Amino acid sequence: MKAAFATVMVLFFLCAAVLASNPMSISEELDAQYSYVGDAKTRGAGLNAGSIDEHSADIKYVISPQVNKDLLLRFGFEWQRFSFDVPDHAAVPRVLQQASGVLGFDYQIADQWLMRAEVEPGIYSDFRDISWRDFDAPLILGAVYLADADLQWFFGLRLDVRCEYPVLPVAGARWKFADEWTLNFMLPNPRLEYKVNDRLTFYLGGGVEAGTFAVGEDFGSVHGQPKLDGAIVDYLELRLGAGCSWKITPSVTIEAEAGDMPYREFEFFDPNVEFRSHNAPYGQIACHARF
Amino acid sequence: MRRLVGFFSVVLSFALSQAAGAGPPNPVEIIKNFSDFQQIDVVRLLNGDILSERGSLMDFPNGISAQTCFAVPLSAEEAAKRLQLWDPSPHAELKVYAFHPLHMPCELADFQPLDFNNGQKPVRWLVAKMVASTPEKSELNLTRDEAREFAGCLPKRADLPKVSGCWAGLLLSRASAFQQRGLAGVLPYEVAGESVSPAEQLRTMLREQLAVSHEFLPILKKIGLAGNAAEPSLTPFYYWSLFDADYHGTMSLGAVYLLAVGDHFQLVDLEYYVSGNYYTSATLYEVWPVQAGGKSGALVWRGDFFAAPMLRFTKGTERIAYGVLMLQDIKKEIRCIEDEAKTGR
Repeated sequence: MKAAFATVMVLFFLCAAVLASNPMSISEELDAQYSYVGDAKTRGAGLNAGSIDEHSADIKYVISPQVNKDLLLRFGFEWQRFSFDVPDHAAVPRVLQQASGVLGFDYQIADQWLMRAEVEPGIYSDFRDISWRDFDAPLILGAVYLADADLQWFFGLRLDVRCEYPVLPVAGARWKFADEWTLNFMLPNPRLEYKVNDRLTFYLGGGVEAGTFAVGEDFGSVHGQPKLDGAIVDYLELRLGAGCSWKITPSVTIEAEAGDMPYREFEFFDPNVEFRSHNAPYGQIACHARF
Repeated sequence: MRRLVGFFSVVLSFALSQAAGAGPPNPVEIIKNFSDFQQIDVVRLLNGDILSERGSLMDFPNGISAQTCFAVPLSAEEAAKRLQLWDPSPHAELKVYAFHPLHMPCELADFQPLDFNNGQKPVRWLVAKMVASTPEKSELNLTRDEAREFAGCLPKRADLPKVSGCWAGLLLSRASAFQQRGLAGVLPYEVAGESVSPAEQLRTMLREQLAVSHEFLPILKKIGLAGNAAEPSLTPFYYWSLFDADYHGTMSLGAVYLLAVGDHFQLVDLEYYVSGNYYTSATLYEVWPVQAGGKSGALVWRGDFFAAPMLRFTKGTERIAYGVLMLQDIKKEIRCIEDEAKTGR
């Protein structure tokens, strides 16, 4: 399994190197993020699981060669990790991690419609005993309707057969209603933005961190709940906060935000065991680059 | 030898007879040859359809282009004349606050209608940028000397009439230089320590579209955008305008050239000076007389070339979206042109 993954990554980097040698028809995206969520009292399965704090990090890199006027391919990888400081007795995973490739395309389907299809095949698990059981390939389908320069509508669909809700539809909009103000109502980071100048923007907004992961074959037994051995856990975390983004160059933006994490959920939907956390402060830094 | 001469005579007379029998070239075929449009239904265009295509990605990182094709119920000559003198300011949706012709030679009085006190937020933005300009730092497209002169012209507590007066002086200098020397008289902007020549940017963009440039060679040569002619040999319609570009007040100086080429017309509308937000633009039109479906009118092919600093950093899907939005703005303008042609305004 590890060898197969390594082979895929080597092929990816070779592909990226070849594509990157043609600078005019290639664009690249790099998004990196780190956040810390403070102690949050967590309960579940009729027990107090104690206070759990969290470190999370996410790195996503995508290279997009333009095949023709209307079609861009997308190749890349994403690594995301949630680490939880969990008391020994609690049946809450210490780590949930995603290491996946990114394959997809962007296409102009009509005069004012663009679409994106993206699949992220990879390992989604606690990385304790990696096997094909940890493999998943969620698919994201999205479309944007460009009403005009100030208003765009977004429609999306997330398909993940391992998730409790395998099909998840979403909709949103980006509405620039004044030079300084933009309502960026799009998941996973809906925001109300205030542009101070061309470089600095303040925002109020929310965040959704979510994923579906497999835990180890002995995870339940180790924690005194054998029914959780090899179970699938849906992870969901909501955030509300305020922050600022600073365009340090036209291609690179850094962000810092802080706020409250009002709700977090580890849901082992089969056999229906849930752990929930409420209210903890969080801080986050991020960097977005477009080349 | 005599047999060879006889053979060539036969070939030559056959070719001449073919040419004579071919009649005037079909505009639809011509458009198909040089443009991105391969399906053109003139009847639908005469009924109000607009064909549109985003341009392909350019090697020039600051450039973007688009093509459109439409028809108006006017003779080709009338349509061409209207396009040359077209005033967008009566159409509120185009957000053009002022549009005024310039005399030849232009004079300060041509800029007297310039009024920054119209209460519009984008115009207040432009005035703020003007007042904040220094020789060392400016968000406007100026040479260092222009920035120095402009800063020197403004008193410490500049009022709007004074700002208008100083800015009118700057525009007058640029317009006069263009009227005297054409594109050779256009001073490059100094942007973040780099020299940006609008004329060179236009030439670069046109060079990337060889088929279009070749089609428009007659007019491009006459205005100095192609060939070696240093000075234009056509007299254009000169104008200045004040408008909203993405919530930012913007001023431009432009010239619209018109040339009759056989039975059709070519036009080039070029913005040889833009105060900010983008560097320059050129709009090319070719206008033919057409008849189809019992209707007659003018068939118009339009090509838009646009250079802006942020395009260098707008890539991938964002670039496609930018092209889509640019086309929407162009189509909005074309609908206004069509409406005027239909109502005879």
